Amino acid sequence: MMRSGLFWLALLTGLLALASLHLGLRFYTPAQVFLALTQPDGSADDLIITGLRVPRTLVALVVGAGLATSGLLMQAVFRNPLAEPGLLGVNAGASFAVVVGFAFFGISSLTALSLLALGGAVAVTAAIFALVASFRGALTPVSLILAGVTLAAFLGALTQVLVVIDEGTMEALLFWLAGGFADRDTAILWALGPVIVLLVVLAAPSAKALDALATGETTASALGVDVFRLRLLILGLASALAAFGVVIAGPVGFLGLVAPHLARQMTGLDHARLFPRTALIGASLGVLADIATRLVVAPGEAPITAMLALVGAPILVVLIRDRRLTTGP
Amino acid sequence: MTRQPGMIAPPLILGLLTVMAIGIGSSWIGPPRVLAALFGAGAEMDQVIIWTLRLPRVCLAILAGAALALAGLLLQRVVRNPIASPSVLGIVDGAAVGVVLFLWIWSDEANALTVSIHWLPLAATLGAGCFALLVLVLAGRDVVQPARLILYGIAMAALAKALVMVLIILGPVYRASTALIWLAGSVHAAHWDDVVILGVVLAVVLVALVLLRLRMDQILLDDVSAGATGLSVAASKGLLLSFAVVLTAGAVSFAGGIAFVGLIAPNIARALVGLRAGALLWATPFVGAALVLGADNLARIVAFPLELPTGAITALIGAPYFLFLLVRQVRHG
Repeated sequence: MMRSGLFWLALLTGLLALASLHLGLRFYTPAQVFLALTQPDGSADDLIITGLRVPRTLVALVVGAGLATSGLLMQAVFRNPLAEPGLLGVNAGASFAVVVGFAFFGISSLTALSLLALGGAVAVTAAIFALVASFRGALTPVSLILAGVTLAAFLGALTQVLVVIDEGTMEALLFWLAGGFADRDTAILWALGPVIVLLVVLAAPSAKALDALATGETTASALGVDVFRLRLLILGLASALAAFGVVIAGPVGFLGLVAPHLARQMTGLDHARLFPRTALIGASLGVLADIATRLVVAPGEAPITAMLALVGAPILVVLIRDRRLTTGP
Repeated sequence: MTRQPGMIAPPLILGLLTVMAIGIGSSWIGPPRVLAALFGAGAEMDQVIIWTLRLPRVCLAILAGAALALAGLLLQRVVRNPIASPSVLGIVDGAAVGVVLFLWIWSDEANALTVSIHWLPLAATLGAGCFALLVLVLAGRDVVQPARLILYGIAMAALAKALVMVLIILGPVYRASTALIWLAGSVHAAHWDDVVILGVVLAVVLVALVLLRLRMDQILLDDVSAGATGLSVAASKGLLLSFAVVLTAGAVSFAGGIAFVGLIAPNIARALVGLRAGALLWATPFVGAALVLGADNLARIVAFPLELPTGAITALIGAPYFLFLLVRQVRHG
């Protein structure tokens, strides 16, 4: 039962990824796609399939899985089903750091920018963690999210100001800042994509400890979990996943909220089962949203944030309605 | 009452900021020349620049700030919590949906509007009203929990933003650029027409509110006590909420959503003049107008000759203030 659910999910992800190669402004037959992948002859169609569709599909898969896992990890640590890198301001922190480094210090090395993004993400996560810790449980999940959204608004405004002041870098930055899976720098994908996959896999062994944490801090300690260390470790992992996702695709919201929610609907609260499902659902949603951006307003292309918000906002509403959210963790 | 410095300071500060705002531009015009031109004297060139180029923009900023501030005041009264504001209840983005739909439906092939631009605020009001209703319906009995209510607002705002983006892309290029101008929350494409429409909306609502000021004081009590003072609580809330929607929509249709003004201004005004609705109805619009104008002045000076988005400046002040309010409320249970 458990295995078969996972199998179907993996199959769905694969099918969506395949569909993503065929669908768009130009529709291709499976034969055309197969030929383009196996015997490319440099025609325009080949370039579209191998040069545009394959990279954007990979970006959607990797970033989707990464952000979804990041959301799941944050939700576990904060014990808050609304926690995710977008709503908590972590994406905004990473973007802000990258803009500062790129526009003001002229940093363009990928390693340096990735580290900056990581720094920004970690800083925001640490601030949120400090806020939660300082209230010792008095902060309800709803209030925590409000604080995160406000932090995101603040960092977003700062970023906006910086981008306007620094005219020269504006064009490239604006495109990246809008967030999306299409036309991303493939060099960044090849460098950071494997890292994200690795981090997603590395998160899995924490499943038992996170299950223990879900039962409460005291119980978790009694079960031999070093709660503080676990939280730091998991939050570091979550920040890194969000930060690298931001470096590849710009800030993308709601995936980290929706994917873990759907995974829980599917399989319950067991983290060992949640991890692979969340990652696969995140990857599927990423690809699905990317396909939607190409089809919904064709011949134009809709922003991925809009597509994800159309799904994410209603799910956010469903989650807010949960009675338990105002009673505190 | 009128002797209180809190009552006099906001209009004075607004006056100073106005003279300064008129002076700022591609050429600086000093206060004496500004005042002279305003009263119909001084160089003809100054008069032309000031009356046709700079004054409409300044007036629009003032009116938009006043309208957003008043809307915030009303919402904070209805919710009985100082963290409420139009931008977080989804009304601002709802109004944007109304505006984009309006531009979408009533444009001809040549991208010219087929109906008068005077109908724009109505479309914005309808959009804002729909989203306000949606938030309230979704919230149901959560209305009494401001934090949760705001989160519903944030969810609906995200939905509205997505709709706006999709609608803009589906529309032709011209419409996209008109729409994007005010989405950025700026006031630099102002005309006297816009000023007059927004001014009339604001004046009408303000007069109505002054007549209703007793209700605004009663509503501060809890529902039962307010009812005992002879107030029909539900009707009053609905009325104040509708005014808030109209004011927000008016501001959004001509100046874009200027973030956080509706949150900060009523709080500053309350610190200045206290809780009485009469005094607040006087002070809040001035504070809101001064905030927007001050932010707009800053936006034009800081990176001169570049111009920052006014909404970004107000967000930089407003976001920390919101966090402060939130943390304070959590501390005090």
